[in-house]
Amino acid sequence: MSARKLLCALALLPGIALAQTQAKGMDDLLNRIRQDGAASAKLNQEREARFLRDRSAQAEMLQKAEAEHASVKARSDAIRARYEANQKQIAELKEQFKTRAGDYTQVAATVRQAAADFRSHAGDSPLSTQFPERLAVLDALSADDAMPGQADIEKLWFVLQQEMTENGRVARFQGEVVDTQGSSTKEEVIRVGAFTAFRDGDYLVPQPGGNQLLELLHQPERGFRSLARKFADRDEATAPILIDPTGGTLLAQEALRPSLGERIEQGGAVGYVIIAVGLVGAVLAIWQLAWLLRTDRAVRRQLDNVAQPSQDNPLGRVLATFKGDPNTAAEDAEVIELRLSEAVLREVPKLERFQAFLRLAVAAGPLLGLIGTVVGMIITFQVITEQGAGDPRMMAEGISQAMIATVLGLGIAVPLLFINSLLAARSRVITQILDEQATGLLAERLEKARA
Amino acid sequence: MLEQFWYGLLAPFESIDTFVESGGWVLPWIFIAGLVMWTLIVERWWYLRYAYRKERETLTQTWKARPEHKSWHARQIRRMMISRINVRLVGSLPLIRVIVPLAPLLGLLGTVTGMLEVFDGMSALGYADARTMSDGVSHAMVATLAGLAVSLSGIFFVGRFQTLSMVETELFADALEY
Repeated sequence: MSARKLLCALALLPGIALAQTQAKGMDDLLNRIRQDGAASAKLNQEREARFLRDRSAQAEMLQKAEAEHASVKARSDAIRARYEANQKQIAELKEQFKTRAGDYTQVAATVRQAAADFRSHAGDSPLSTQFPERLAVLDALSADDAMPGQADIEKLWFVLQQEMTENGRVARFQGEVVDTQGSSTKEEVIRVGAFTAFRDGDYLVPQPGGNQLLELLHQPERGFRSLARKFADRDEATAPILIDPTGGTLLAQEALRPSLGERIEQGGAVGYVIIAVGLVGAVLAIWQLAWLLRTDRAVRRQLDNVAQPSQDNPLGRVLATFKGDPNTAAEDAEVIELRLSEAVLREVPKLERFQAFLRLAVAAGPLLGLIGTVVGMIITFQVITEQGAGDPRMMAEGISQAMIATVLGLGIAVPLLFINSLLAARSRVITQILDEQATGLLAERLEKARA
Repeated sequence: MLEQFWYGLLAPFESIDTFVESGGWVLPWIFIAGLVMWTLIVERWWYLRYAYRKERETLTQTWKARPEHKSWHARQIRRMMISRINVRLVGSLPLIRVIVPLAPLLGLLGTVTGMLEVFDGMSALGYADARTMSDGVSHAMVATLAGLAVSLSGIFFVGRFQTLSMVETELFADALEY
């Protein structure tokens, strides 16, 4: 029982405590509200006071800005007035200038025109590398608003006269040269009039519009370059030199022309076949010609000494087939002749070696060339069919490439034909000696032996 | 006066020079071929006219001096003599004979390279007019002309010497009686 009461009491305790604290909290809340109200009222008062203060400051700022605006406007009006006055003055001065200049404007226009024309010419001339200052003069004279004075016109006169004088002169000078790598250096340049310039055998072309010289990327052929090199070393009054009257255009065209190696490459597979046939033929022919000349010499030696046939030459070998008694030779005539003719037959193939092949090569060369040309033509016309015949350049290039094969074919046929005729003539003489004279030589020897 | 005389002397060289100029690179070769051919032709003519007579005489004398002309020995020796004379008579004829077809071939080579120049000019310019083509065409035509001229100038002599060598060999054989 008591325990239950205790429990109850215990259970009630918190409830009582809660009620007490609640009562206390309400008071506090009231207090706090009161305090808060007072505080916010104070805050509002402060804010209002600040607003009032600020408003007067704003008004002050506004006044200040308006004053500034007014002063600036006044200044701008003054400036505008001055600008307009200036404009008017300029118009007046221009008018005055026009009336005063009168005919002189035409003079100035003419000078300007002449300077501009000459500037475009001078930009593409090697002389501008030697006299770079003249370009600045011309630029100043050809400016749009240039009104040249007497001194300026005299300068123009001077550069024109200089151009004429220097055109007929060969000169060495230090000039800006841009090599094929693009780096520019000061080097000694030789120029011939305004036509050609070169340095150490390399031809140079003027940089368009500038005062530098560019080294040609594809130099012309070796002969022309050595000509330039020799020209530089000569001290005589006259020396031959290549002159390009177009000032570089022709040189560039010349450089575009394919070299021999490039041409052969254009010939393609057929071209290489032709060259191979030609080389093989030439090697064989030269080797055989050397052999024939040696044999010829040996045969001649043998002719002087018929009595001792040696084995190192055809005639000796043929004569050596006769073995027997000189006295009974006449009776065995037929046998001797047979033996000799057999020996001759053994020798002849060696003498006439390679001639059949060379004749074949002579006939085949132009024919192979024809094949190459026809194939090239077919390809050219194929391209024309695909792309239209609007460009004669393309067609010309194709045909010229096609014709290389014919050139090569003829090129091998001519020397091979010549050398083959030499071989035929040589071998024919030796064969004749063996065939028709060996028996006679033998007979002579036998007669001497009998006598 | 003297100057005029001098120019008169130089005139043929000058005209040859212009001709070679208009014929391109192959013309000197054709010229060499023609020179070789004519040297050989003159040499043949000289031989047939003078040297051959003496040789023939000595050989005929040797034959006549023999004690007999009927044996196998004699016949073989006679054959040898005829062969020798034939070799001497033919001489450099094969070389002359090859230059006759060689010269037009060289001319043809010049023709083709000349045409190449024409097409090169066309491909460089991108159009064709008479001026760009004239140089190549001139090279082509002049080379052809020169080759044909050299060839034709030799043709008659080749035929003539061939006949002569055959006929003279026969005549010599007839002279060696047995």
